[in-house]
Amino acid sequence: MVVLEGRDVRKSFREGRETVEVLRGVSLAVESGEVVALEGPSGSGKTTLLSILGCILTASSGVVTVAGEAVDPRRPSRLPDIRKRSIGFVFQQYNLFPALTARENVEFALNIKGVRGPEARAQAERLLDAVGLADRKGFFPADLSGGQKQRVAIARALTGQPAAILADEPTANLDTQIGAQILDLFRSLAKRENRGLLIVTHDPKVRAICDRVAHIRDGLIAA
Amino acid sequence: MVDLALKTLFHDRLRFAITLAGVAFAVMLVLVQVGLFLGLLHNASLTIDKIDADIWITSKNTPNVDVGQRFPEGRAQRVRSVPGVARADNMIVAFMSMTLPSGAQDNILVYALEDFRRWGIPWSVAEGDVEDLKRGRFLFLDETAERRFGAFASGEHREVAGYRLELIGRSRDARSFTTTPIAFMDYRLAQELQPAVLRGNAHYILVKLAPGADLEAVQSEIQRRLPYNDVHKREEWAARSRRYWITNTGLGLNLYLTVFLGGLVGIVVVAQTLYASTMEHLKEFGTVKAIGGSNRDIYRILLRQAGVAALVGFVIGAIPAFAIQALAAGAGLQVVIPASIVAIVFAGTIVMCAAAAVISFHKVATIDPALVFRG
Repeated sequence: MVVLEGRDVRKSFREGRETVEVLRGVSLAVESGEVVALEGPSGSGKTTLLSILGCILTASSGVVTVAGEAVDPRRPSRLPDIRKRSIGFVFQQYNLFPALTARENVEFALNIKGVRGPEARAQAERLLDAVGLADRKGFFPADLSGGQKQRVAIARALTGQPAAILADEPTANLDTQIGAQILDLFRSLAKRENRGLLIVTHDPKVRAICDRVAHIRDGLIAA
Repeated sequence: MVDLALKTLFHDRLRFAITLAGVAFAVMLVLVQVGLFLGLLHNASLTIDKIDADIWITSKNTPNVDVGQRFPEGRAQRVRSVPGVARADNMIVAFMSMTLPSGAQDNILVYALEDFRRWGIPWSVAEGDVEDLKRGRFLFLDETAERRFGAFASGEHREVAGYRLELIGRSRDARSFTTTPIAFMDYRLAQELQPAVLRGNAHYILVKLAPGADLEAVQSEIQRRLPYNDVHKREEWAARSRRYWITNTGLGLNLYLTVFLGGLVGIVVVAQTLYASTMEHLKEFGTVKAIGGSNRDIYRILLRQAGVAALVGFVIGAIPAFAIQALAAGAGLQVVIPASIVAIVFAGTIVMCAAAAVISFHKVATIDPALVFRG
């Protein structure tokens, strides 16, 4: 089952008096339980495509479908709801809230998704257990290593059981060994929990754990 | 529910402290300034509030109690014959010069009546018996005069308007807006001291109604009989006396400016720190959006932070304001901070901080969500 799909997606930005077309008719689909890598040089449109598939940006044209729901670009106010229900993000810089502990970071995401109280706390603890941070729940991000932060970010991305998880260079700030552990964790979670996983990367090691690799260049998916 | 707003606020303690300092300073400034002003206004109508009269008759357009204009004292007879009037007495309120033991001269504000006890004035007697005032060339002086004239005691003599009078008592807490010390003497004695202007004249007629009399009806009947005087109910006259100082002296403008500047300082400091904090946490707000939060969720975070800053800052600002009130009282200066003003300043603080938060809203609403992907 396709959980994330973009068909003939185009995106243009105004830069001064010029219009720059960043995506020029990209089509890409991710199925549940599938791990897909999206590779490409800087400026190729990877992050823009990730933003559009993640419902952070809207496409100038084309069709985007998330968990079976077509994204209507004329109603950007609906995007937060789709993100809340169906998408989890993992960022290169982790983007954890420094004032919250590991558990609270995950619990806050659950709160945003409508889970409150003891249930949110219990779910947050279960998710942290699942990513191997049972003994770091009360630690603040500043007291965690890069790998541990990324595990917290993965736990946060899993909140609300999203159909798709989008990861932007998730191993870029990690050393080789920790990066490998994180990739293993990603793959096993995607497979075990049947999530579609799209990873934007420059890292050749990521390719090894993916079911499929898509290359983007100059705003087009290479054949 | 994880309280991101509070946790972020307390996580960045230095910034929070700066915000609180700004709010507290504004609160203290406004409370003390308003308190000082209300203290002065309180004095402006203190004697009106304390004298047991339902109606005050003044000369036409008298602006406040301290500057009464004289009129023939025989008019009191006409007032006494009005149905519903229980009693009506003439009163003199006049500035007179007093020669101090040092030889210097200063002014006193004399309240002169034939029967002080009947009108409940002076309302607080520290020493002596006001009944004795009618027995000779005697004088009561308020204790607050000590600050200006130096210590004095019963049995001492002072020269007032060129006449030697004996001090036979002290009142307490009788103050005028101008801070001129208040003295009490017999009505006829006052006329004797300034015969050229006061003989046969009074400044006010105090009126007490009979039980069950209709205040409005009595007021309008007196006004009909005394067309060349103004007839005020006590509260109206007190308000008029206070209003004079607010509108005619620039003090009101001074107050409004102080409150405005206090509020402005608060808004600028809080807005600046909240805005800087918003800018610093922009990526975090972008992350809130990425995980499904809406602008409204972020506005709620900002408003909550502003609300906490307002509440804590208000408490921190109010404590020194009340300390200043106590210190000022020791120095003979009245700072009046009633509960209603505390409530208004608190509401103003909330509005001020909310307004400061709203300035950050625009920035949040225009966050580029793709910011979260940037290194």
